Amino acid sequence: MAYDKPLPNPDANTQPFFDALKEHKLLLQYFPSADHYQYPYSDRCYKDWSTDWEWRESSGSGEVYTWVRMHQLYHPSWKAEIPYTLAVVQLDEGPRMHTNLVNAPLEDVHVGMRVKVVFDDVTDEFTLPKFEPA
Amino acid sequence: MSDPIRGQTAICGLGITEMGKVYGHDASWFAGEAIKLAIEDAGLQKDDIDGLLVNPGITGAFGTGISIPLQGYLGLRNLRLLNHMNSFGATASAMVQYAAMAVHHGMANYVACIFSDAPLQQGGSAGAAYGGAGRRGPSGMASLMPAFGFYGANTSYALAARRYMERYGVTNNDLGRVSVAQRRYAVDNPHATMRQPLTLEDYHNSRWIVEPFHLLDCCLVSNGAVCTIVTTAERARDLKSSPAYVWGMGQGHPGNFPHAEVEVGTTSGATIAGETAYRMAGVGPDDVDICEFYDCYTYTVLRTIEDYGLAKPGEAIGLYPEDPADPEAELPKINTGGGQLSSYYMWGMTPISEGVIQARGSGGDRQIEQHDIVLCSGNGGTLDTHGTLILSPNAN
Repeated sequence: MAYDKPLPNPDANTQPFFDALKEHKLLLQYFPSADHYQYPYSDRCYKDWSTDWEWRESSGSGEVYTWVRMHQLYHPSWKAEIPYTLAVVQLDEGPRMHTNLVNAPLEDVHVGMRVKVVFDDVTDEFTLPKFEPA
Repeated sequence: MSDPIRGQTAICGLGITEMGKVYGHDASWFAGEAIKLAIEDAGLQKDDIDGLLVNPGITGAFGTGISIPLQGYLGLRNLRLLNHMNSFGATASAMVQYAAMAVHHGMANYVACIFSDAPLQQGGSAGAAYGGAGRRGPSGMASLMPAFGFYGANTSYALAARRYMERYGVTNNDLGRVSVAQRRYAVDNPHATMRQPLTLEDYHNSRWIVEPFHLLDCCLVSNGAVCTIVTTAERARDLKSSPAYVWGMGQGHPGNFPHAEVEVGTTSGATIAGETAYRMAGVGPDDVDICEFYDCYTYTVLRTIEDYGLAKPGEAIGLYPEDPADPEAELPKINTGGGQLSSYYMWGMTPISEGVIQARGSGGDRQIEQHDIVLCSGNGGTLDTHGTLILSPNAN
């Protein structure tokens, strides 16, 4: 069956991020003047307001900051997955990402669990950065 | 030492419309009803109103919420103060605060602060009303949220709650104790939508929404409006209803920074807002008789209790009896009208409206005997914004 869940909708600023995901690379914005990694995208560093930045590849390593099990159906395409596990992952570089936790037995999931990124090629067009136990 | 503005201003009028599944009217209509009720409560005339502060609810995001045109709809021709405000759930506190400062300095005499919302449609679910059904999808990195299956405020608060619960060993049964306690108050609140008594068993049997939240951890969605009229203490003294004097005001806005350097879930803006309001009022946590706390979720109540210094971190649940449904069990004096969980969801006006009722001593069967210091909170975003009001039946 064709993938029917909502797909990302890149804009000009975030296209490089989504292109890199297809190559199984997770990019973060790096602002050298504040030595600060930032996610999600912004055209300005919120620490020192610098607009000078570059894309850097993330280690893809981090820990579960918090997590939930989604039971409510907001979009019909999730019907077969419910309940599914959503997580916020604290990357080792600092930023936190909302993501899906996969390949993780429910009884093992906890705040502080070490995880690493895994790339899910959901369509020819799009790859999603999900996380699994490290 | 308190601030000189303590007790110099007051809420002199309160209007609460019919609440909940009330269909066939838009947010402007509810706003008109609430302002009319508030003016009658204060014993004022329409033309006395010379200030209008407006806060739309979720219908503000749909383009059908109240805003500046409310002035024309109601024919308010004497305005010296007018604004549309939004810091989400903290707005109602902020409206009363700015109104209080304005009347204190003579910029206006009677400021109507109005929250109105009408998101519920006949045949539609509360989840559809608030979950963003029918709204256009986001772009850029925000588009990853629906792609991962994140939807709505239930999810973001459940994430915050999980972190808090794992950190302090707080359980679902603990969250249920908050829900059941508030329902016991709602039974005696004629304004409340949910007045059937609740047990812990009912709580555990209610369906999961976003685990760790059951349905009964989540606030209602309501159609309706609440208006408070703010004036000086001097004017309030001679009006029809007894005033709720404003003793303390404060705000604290930690914002939302998804980064390791900012903690989410185990802190809120109440810490800073509370300190500011306590200082202005010249009181502390030990002086508080009644709390009316913004309770979008059960978890939010526990978080807020701790941030106001009423319990140590992780220990707020200790204020609640093991089985709050037991009629012999004494309830904490918190959310004495049932709160947003059981009475009505008017964003920050839910706690303020019950705070005014309790301060006046007009709570009927649910009235708390000792009601000199009433602490009201407003909270918006996912613990991103916060407002505090300390109310009292006493001018000083």
